[in-house]
Amino acid sequence: MMVPVRCFSCGTVVGEHWEAFKARAETHDGDEDPADVLDDLGVDRHCCRRMLIAHQDLVDVVSPYQ
Amino acid sequence: MSSQDFDVEFVDRDDREARFVVRNITPAFANGIRRAILVDVPTLSIDTVRFVENSSVMFDEQLGLRLGLVPLTTPEDYAAGEAVTLALDVEGPGTAYSGDLVSNDPEVEAADENIPIIELKDDQRLELEADAVMGHGRDHAKHQGGVAVGYRHLQRVHVVGDSPEYADDDPQMLRGVIEEDDELVPTDDFDNDLTTRYPGKEVEIEDVDGAFVFHVESDGSMPVEELVLRAVDTLVDRADELEQAVQL
Repeated sequence: MMVPVRCFSCGTVVGEHWEAFKARAETHDGDEDPADVLDDLGVDRHCCRRMLIAHQDLVDVVSPYQ
Repeated sequence: MSSQDFDVEFVDRDDREARFVVRNITPAFANGIRRAILVDVPTLSIDTVRFVENSSVMFDEQLGLRLGLVPLTTPEDYAAGEAVTLALDVEGPGTAYSGDLVSNDPEVEAADENIPIIELKDDQRLELEADAVMGHGRDHAKHQGGVAVGYRHLQRVHVVGDSPEYADDDPQMLRGVIEEDDELVPTDDFDNDLTTRYPGKEVEIEDVDGAFVFHVESDGSMPVEELVLRAVDTLVDRADELEQAVQL
């Protein structure tokens, strides 16, 4: 639904970087390589990287059924 | 334990992330520091939430959990158990961010301001009041001030000879910090590959006795340096408590 606030494994705050990641990564709205974006944001452990890579926003999907 | 004094030397130093070498400690004491950083340093975190209005797509409980995970700056003068009140009032369309939290103590605020709490559509509104409490990491992970805290031995590299003439040029990976003529060299300086630092040499790696490289990250509730100092203070308090308890 919404991006997790922290990494499940290590507890680093990852929610902070979600909007920047979404705007820049080519898998979302941007045109950059997601790996480079994560390096640039300082998300360097793979446990934290998967939090952003594997995330899917679902608020738009569920909001009509409120 | 040796009678020599502790010695601390920083390798990297930043508000949120630091690496430092501590000498003349035992592995048990190193682990004591690590655990104290995680478990014994109290930080502020939202614990109770009173919802005035929540017409968003998430339940009150879900939002409560998200709010609890938001790191809050923790001033020095707070004692364990003390509380602060925060408020959040956001109307859709738009997103409620951690930065929208307003507290009654200007020194307490969200350490990261861009964490999305919930996306609000037209006519949706979120209004709440929350109590942040000073709590310990041993009770809930949201109160942990340190993140990914770890340590490893400081290492020393000895050149023992030349590598054989027709040896495979495989990389020899080593991650951490090495000591070279009393100088500390993080292995990422040479891409963690010893063959780039000592080309054509055969090397042996040895742990330096009693020297540990700590890597500490803070979630933002306080700078790393303060976090470690507070952790060590709690160890001192524990030792004092023990001394009091066993005195006849």
